[in-house]
Amino acid sequence: MSPVQAGRAEAIAAEARGGAVYDRGYRPYDGPRGRRGAATFALYKASMRRALGIRRSWRQKVAPFALLGIVTIPAIVNVGIGYVTRDRFLSQRIQIISYREYVGVSAALLLFVALVSPDVLCPDRRQHVLPLMFARPITGFDYVVAKLGAIATILFAFSFLPQVVLFVGNMLVSDSALNYFTGHLWVLWKVPAAVALLAIYYTVIGIAISSLTDRRIVAGASIIGLFLVTSISSAIFVGDFEFRGGSAAGLINVLRLPLYLRDLIFLTHISPRSPLGGVNNGGLLAVVTYVVVLAVGVTVLLRRYRWVER
Amino acid sequence: MTSGSLLRLDGLTKRYPGTTALDGLSVDLPRGRIGLVGANGAGKTTTFRLLLGLAHPTEGHIEVCGIDVARDPIGVRSRLGYMPEHDCLPLDQTAADVVATFGELSGLPARAARQRASDILDLVGLDEARFRPIGEFSTGMRQRAKLAQAIVSDPELVLLDEPTSGLDPAGRDDMLALVSRLGSFGISVLMATHLLDDVQKVCDYVVMIDAGRLVVAGTTASLLERTGTVTVDVGPRGPELVAPLGAINLRAVATEGVVEVEISNDDELDLLTDCIARLELPLYRLSSRVTSLDEVFLHRTEELP
Repeated sequence: MSPVQAGRAEAIAAEARGGAVYDRGYRPYDGPRGRRGAATFALYKASMRRALGIRRSWRQKVAPFALLGIVTIPAIVNVGIGYVTRDRFLSQRIQIISYREYVGVSAALLLFVALVSPDVLCPDRRQHVLPLMFARPITGFDYVVAKLGAIATILFAFSFLPQVVLFVGNMLVSDSALNYFTGHLWVLWKVPAAVALLAIYYTVIGIAISSLTDRRIVAGASIIGLFLVTSISSAIFVGDFEFRGGSAAGLINVLRLPLYLRDLIFLTHISPRSPLGGVNNGGLLAVVTYVVVLAVGVTVLLRRYRWVER
Repeated sequence: MTSGSLLRLDGLTKRYPGTTALDGLSVDLPRGRIGLVGANGAGKTTTFRLLLGLAHPTEGHIEVCGIDVARDPIGVRSRLGYMPEHDCLPLDQTAADVVATFGELSGLPARAARQRASDILDLVGLDEARFRPIGEFSTGMRQRAKLAQAIVSDPELVLLDEPTSGLDPAGRDDMLALVSRLGSFGISVLMATHLLDDVQKVCDYVVMIDAGRLVVAGTTASLLERTGTVTVDVGPRGPELVAPLGAINLRAVATEGVVEVEISNDDELDLLTDCIARLELPLYRLSSRVTSLDEVFLHRTEELP
């Protein structure tokens, strides 16, 4: 009798006796093992799951998916109106939102950033999980990359998916889907580029602020506070830009900064009807400020997670 | 691999401003279960940080499983498991999730990590609790979950920092039994503790440090040497034995219900048994007394300059 057959016979006999407890013992692992890349990707996936509430209670899933629903509403409404007015002349059809404007709607995802960034970062420090993380084949740089990547991916997806709904919907309600597609090929690169800039920007700010505290509520309030304070300060300094033109003080508004880059992508210049409208080299100033903000954010993160003592 | 030993520390020194955490620690340790013993602040946690490559030594050199930590800290960490002393697990995640995630973070593919998480949680006795959030676990269960995440990747060496900390006697025995079994799985153990009893129960090699300096290192058996003292249990009449033994030049002391007699050769042992027989005392036990690790630690620490 082979060992397997013997084991089976023993199991059948044990069952006949009324059950048995099996010690399955320990099985060594001799399969493939990844190093830094695999560990970073694992942390990226774990952070994405946490941000989306996957494998967590239903309450954790409400916020992200409710926000996705909210930012998709304008696209659905726009497509619905397009469908209702599809029999009218082209000039009489109503379009409530353009692709460029829709990138601005994604700024609502700031709320998502304020909610999720602290949740993905703060508990690691508060619950002392970081020593366990850094006892793995992972560095502080990898940790930062994984966390930034996870939030940026979700933000990009949540900003891009409604645009896809808008594009596909508009295409389907147009007179000719093929003509619409070929006539709007620019959308296929401008929207992802603008949305990516927005996602990266909000992610870096959200994660950098969250890294400064181990309390979620403090981090969330700080993110919202930063955006509110800079928006109000900018509004006070710039004044009524629609009539008097913009001012460089418009750059103070960190919430709006990526929207200037959006304008550069869609219009190739800053919109004259923006707080930065009419400012000399406004586009260049916006790009420089954007890069500086990102650089400061990433520097803060790398310093906070420089885990190895010198 | 450049050497067959598990750990090689060579002149390891770690200085912080105003304090020296480790002072020229040199030791070559074999595979197996090793106890790293020392009082609080002796340098145990600093040693762990250096082994993990999370701190750089001020002087000296470390090899773990034949890998130079300074050159390849990531390679070292791929082969190690680590169980810190303090609470360190995400409280709102289930044990299965946490252990699987740490398996992946150690480089295991996702499917293998999930499978091994299930097996290891079963092994540490958390099979029925694996889908409960860790926040609902008792201290003993959390310690088991911490051990599970440390061994999920099948490391060559697992670093355990005070694994029995905060456990009740039954939980402590269970944890020590688990640690003891790790050796049979092919996982070497370096267990830092200040509880010498724990080390005596499960470790086959001991390293004692005090104020960052090596006190002594050796196999547990070699440190627990015979003392030259024989313990005699003759029941409540033990004190009656002391004076007659003194008369035949054997030093004896009655203590805690037994009599301890200093014996230097077999002839003296014969004199002792003859004396017991002559006094018609009942002999319940006659054994050679062995030092405890506490005594070794205290004795060797006093000898340090």
